[in-house]
Amino acid sequence: MAEKITKEQVFEAIRKVVDPEVGFNLVEMGLIYDAIIDDDNNIKVVMTLSTRGCPLHQLLTQWVKDAVKEIPGAGDVEVEIVWEPEWNISMAEEHVKKALGAI
Amino acid sequence: MFQVSKEFAPPFSLISPFFKIGALFYLVSMLLLPFFGADSTYYDITVAGWAHLFLLGFVMMIIFGTMAQLVPVVLEVGHFSVDFYYLIWPLLATGTALMGIGFVFSPSFLPYGGLMVLVSMLIFLADTILTLRKVERVSLTVATIGATNGFLLLGIVVGFAMSLTIGAGVGVDIQKWLGVHVVLVLGGFVTLTIVGMSMVLLPMFGLSHGFDEKPVNMAFRIMCAGVALYFVAAVLDSESLRFLSLLSIFAGLGLYLWQIWLIYRTRARKESDIWFKSMVVGYGSLAFALILAPIALIGRLESVSLASAWFLVMGFFTFLINGHLFKIIPFLVWFERYSPLVGKEKVPMLADMIPQKPGDFQFWFSAAGVMVAGMGLLFGSDIFFKAGAAFMALGAVFMFYCVIWMMNFGRR
Repeated sequence: MAEKITKEQVFEAIRKVVDPEVGFNLVEMGLIYDAIIDDDNNIKVVMTLSTRGCPLHQLLTQWVKDAVKEIPGAGDVEVEIVWEPEWNISMAEEHVKKALGAI
Repeated sequence: MFQVSKEFAPPFSLISPFFKIGALFYLVSMLLLPFFGADSTYYDITVAGWAHLFLLGFVMMIIFGTMAQLVPVVLEVGHFSVDFYYLIWPLLATGTALMGIGFVFSPSFLPYGGLMVLVSMLIFLADTILTLRKVERVSLTVATIGATNGFLLLGIVVGFAMSLTIGAGVGVDIQKWLGVHVVLVLGGFVTLTIVGMSMVLLPMFGLSHGFDEKPVNMAFRIMCAGVALYFVAAVLDSESLRFLSLLSIFAGLGLYLWQIWLIYRTRARKESDIWFKSMVVGYGSLAFALILAPIALIGRLESVSLASAWFLVMGFFTFLINGHLFKIIPFLVWFERYSPLVGKEKVPMLADMIPQKPGDFQFWFSAAGVMVAGMGLLFGSDIFFKAGAAFMALGAVFMFYCVIWMMNFGRR
């Protein structure tokens, strides 16, 4: 039986997905809310976007799916976009806030 | 779920001509600008020719190209038929050129150019209205798009009737209907469309969140009412209604500026790039135009009125449009050429796809030009106006270079 995938592994995999507009990955932007992993290593990523009108909506979802699928032993991968809680800059990592001039 | 997808997004080959031709018309109209003087009036036929070259060839062309991309984003549905846009730009470009020739050299060209422009806009309206019918939830944005398209339809019909008057001797009172044409198209369509688009684009690029949207909701309603009232005032020949309608439009724009301040205050992204600097000049120009407008209206001062129109069109419209081109074009190029390569090879960030130095030159020359020429109009100084116009022409050369540079980025 494959080793159980951890939430940390999923978040680490998504760090490869960069938003080309701001130049930071989705994890450091604070856009990834959760990763739910069942016993068969099927993974559901719960994430948001920085804006509802994001024209990269589908591409970002696909990139996240592709990145998570690369984890050895990963089963089915699903990505759910949620709008609650609404994203704001306080959810981003400190170095992102600093680089964008938010602090 | 909110779906803005690749299948909704129009192909790059469809949108790119709008931006290239729009930038070309901008360049040509700016190169012609120094040939005018500070004593020009609204009723000068060569000014009308230049205004159509600039407003149809540049402003409308870029707005239509942007709408091809943004309508699905805003309405959350795909275009009724995005292929309609393949017809819009050739008709609009040819019609505009013919109108320019008609105004300056031979009025007989005007009805032909006017008809081509009319058809191009009817095609745009047909796609937008048929797309609106697919929308299930009628939000304020959806209602506003409906209203702005109604204003555009009325405005271009009035404009076409005037072109028949000049070119074919049809009896329309141009003095009376010119104002209606300008208010319907520039106020009812261009300004309200920019207001609507900015409510999507400014928070997106500035990462603004949690701001109150009441001011813009009120602004939309007041401005729509003001534009409609202006039309009614013309039909009833009522000077007091006309006055009231213009005051409503100014009040609506004031509320919109308040909204922009709220978005600005909540932005998380505080870098001062070309886009941001362009927004500052654009909204600063709108504020100044709004200070001048009531003075011109109450005092009936033509030079102040001309300066107010200058800051609205050359400051607000131009900087909002050009500033956003530095965001929209790199995105479209990246989406077309680099998004399929993500995960396979290193791809550039959008900020790498902007020519920084020429972009800065474009900004500073154009900003200086708007201010100096605007002061020339305000104080009746020909030297100031021509100096400012020359700065703007130089800025337009850099702008054209930037558009082509961004369009060709990563071309193999």
